[in-house]
Amino acid sequence: MFDLVAKRKWFLLASLVIVVASLLSAFLPGGLKAGIDFKGGISVTLGPREGETLTADQVREKLAELGQERAALQSLSDGDYFIRMGEMDETQVRSELEEVGVVQDFYSVSSIVASETTRNAAIAMGVATVAMLLYITWAFRKVPGSFRYGTGAVIALLFNIGLVLGVFSVLGRTLDWEIDPMFVTAILAVIGYSVNDAIVVLDRVRENLARGRAPGLENTVNLSINETLTRSMNTSFTTVLGILAVYLFVGGPIRGFLVALLVGVIAGTYSSIFIASQLLVVWERGEWTRLVPRIPLLQRSKA
Amino acid sequence: MQRRPARKGPRMSRNGWLLLLILALLGTSIWVLTTSGSSALGRDMDHLGLRLGLDLKGGTHLVYQGQFSDNVSADEKDFKMDGVAKAIETRINRYGVVEPVIQRQGDDRIVVQLPGITDLEQAKALIEQTAFLEFREVEVNSGSAPATLGDYLSDNRTDFYDSAVAGTRIFAFPASGGSQPPVVLLERRNGGLEYVDVNGDPIDRGTLEANLEGAYSWMPAVGDAGEPLTGAYLTKAEPQYQQSQVGVSKVVVAIGWNSEGAVIFDDIAGRLNPRTSPLNALGIFLDSELISSPTILQSEYGGSAVIEGDFTPKEARLLAIQLDSGALPIPLKSLYSSEVSATLGEQFTENAFLAGIIALGLIILFMMLYYRVPGLVAGLALLIYLAMVLAIYKAIPVTLSLAGLAGFVVSLGMAVDANVLIFERMNEELRAGRTLKAAVDTGFSRAWPAIRDSNVTTFIACGILYWFGSSIVASSAVMGFALTLFIGVAASMFTAIVVTRTLLIALAGARMTRRALMVGVEGRSV
Repeated sequence: MFDLVAKRKWFLLASLVIVVASLLSAFLPGGLKAGIDFKGGISVTLGPREGETLTADQVREKLAELGQERAALQSLSDGDYFIRMGEMDETQVRSELEEVGVVQDFYSVSSIVASETTRNAAIAMGVATVAMLLYITWAFRKVPGSFRYGTGAVIALLFNIGLVLGVFSVLGRTLDWEIDPMFVTAILAVIGYSVNDAIVVLDRVRENLARGRAPGLENTVNLSINETLTRSMNTSFTTVLGILAVYLFVGGPIRGFLVALLVGVIAGTYSSIFIASQLLVVWERGEWTRLVPRIPLLQRSKA
Repeated sequence: MQRRPARKGPRMSRNGWLLLLILALLGTSIWVLTTSGSSALGRDMDHLGLRLGLDLKGGTHLVYQGQFSDNVSADEKDFKMDGVAKAIETRINRYGVVEPVIQRQGDDRIVVQLPGITDLEQAKALIEQTAFLEFREVEVNSGSAPATLGDYLSDNRTDFYDSAVAGTRIFAFPASGGSQPPVVLLERRNGGLEYVDVNGDPIDRGTLEANLEGAYSWMPAVGDAGEPLTGAYLTKAEPQYQQSQVGVSKVVVAIGWNSEGAVIFDDIAGRLNPRTSPLNALGIFLDSELISSPTILQSEYGGSAVIEGDFTPKEARLLAIQLDSGALPIPLKSLYSSEVSATLGEQFTENAFLAGIIALGLIILFMMLYYRVPGLVAGLALLIYLAMVLAIYKAIPVTLSLAGLAGFVVSLGMAVDANVLIFERMNEELRAGRTLKAAVDTGFSRAWPAIRDSNVTTFIACGILYWFGSSIVASSAVMGFALTLFIGVAASMFTAIVVTRTLLIALAGARMTRRALMVGVEGRSV
């Protein structure tokens, strides 16, 4: 059995550093970059030259030369292509694409209406998080201090989201990865899924407390984490396996989604072991003050 | 299993029933997935007849242009086109979670892509029934009488009688007993006048019959500042019952104007009220069709009015809905329509299905290697789960876009997780020296609170995301994700608690398999 609870201060401190660094990277300028679906761009209808045909590969090749590998390319039924890409100079686009076909129209386009409003999904996520907190508090009502369990799970969830944002902002800064609507979906998935890990560990604490299997909260929490370790690893492993399989086959267009999901799953396992239940011990023993000195509000929980 | 000699205790017979139920559900699911299903929406029949989203399957590509008059400022165009985009989105979302692409193009165009619908006419109907509502009055001819089509034809007019009021003229008979389609439209073109049909295609005036005296010329009803009254100024429209003098209640549609609309409406009412019929009628036109022509009875209405007509309650409700939600700020003209391929590329969907199968295979393989026979049982349960979830998606039907698939994948993960939780608990009980039967029972009851709480938490998230997706945030991708995840998690709970458990109990009852179930525990040191 690993003694994971004894080093809780270090784990929590490390987690705090990670999440603060993540959020700084995400929200300082240049971190999360909006993709074409969010900020608009241009649309081009490209047709074949008289008497010729135009293949999607030819168009893709030209788009790659323009540095627009991630442009949305759709074929229309009359053999034309409808292309949407980020903001670009019209003459440059025309001269490049005219090498293989005929540019029939060129327009600037707005962001996609549906995805523009997806940005507001943050509100929905916030409300969902509060509802989760309330439910977990209610579900653990038979345990003393059930609000702490809800809080622990929600803090673990916030850590998971923070880490996904952080990893993405780093990818944005280094590799120019952009945020698309699928990324928002991935964040939703992280919300729906990653909190499960924390709940499983907290559920074990609840059960072991009721059965009196170890002396004191600290030992009970440590026992519970160890007992659920195999399950946490196996579940994460199967999920990661599934995500990797999808990445290998269809990676390209949805890599952002898959990487966000991958980070979310790993973060979920990490935070269930090193954050959610550890917070119970810290809260119980009133150690907030030693983690974050002199915050008067938190000192009250010492009682 | 239920053919085995009678077992003691009621549990085995209950288990037999459950096995039958599971088989029945599996059979129904497979039947739903293999039958051709409804092709009512021109749904794609590949991929088990599941309705796939725009990103996976492609659909219909439509381009519309807003019909502005010449002197409209760029700001106003911008504002109105945003309104058009939002109105179209609202209208489409009313037909379920379809995740369209709606994008403004240039300053007066809009691109709409709809998934799965391969019938272009049907797709266009879906958008174009987003009606344009406008109000018109009867034009006065040179003899101060109501202008008719006959007047225009016999006078060989080269401009409108009331040349101060721009916009088309619509010739229509009075709307008594139902709505009246326009006989013909008249537009200013190339310095003269041209007769056109509703699509703007010219009509040879020779084909217009001479006996059309009664088809009045309806021109846009404008306020004192010259701005036409349209549905954009409406704030409400609802059916109401009104008691007439003879005690018969009839259905009317009550409408309300915003502050600008109220001023324009009163300008018009003040002008029309002193006139005699038919010059005192206000024609209500929905997409050039005269649906009602109530008489203006007062000079001032102050922002609200009632449309009377021979409505059935159903017609009144329909009109109210059309007025309320379907009012576009400006009329649209269809420029282009075509089928369009998937946004993620042709090859993507095939690869994605293959990837899904491989991922599922890997997961089942891992479960079998790690948990042995119970792992195999879980694999079987996952396949049943797969069939059930896909059948539900098809039956509703749910549009499976990438966001929807994400919800499905997450629910698959949770289904696996529930099984892992149960098996870990079972193994713990076995190691503690319990009998197999007791271990299965205790394993399930111990794992249950964790499964329940984590799944209910996910349900709550789904519910809130769906609700927000349908109202405040208005994002059908969010709704699609929430819907597929909800269905998936509900099915995963059923699979883990009922299917896996029933199969395990059945196996634990058979002497042959009893040893095999233990292997997963004995094979590993604790």
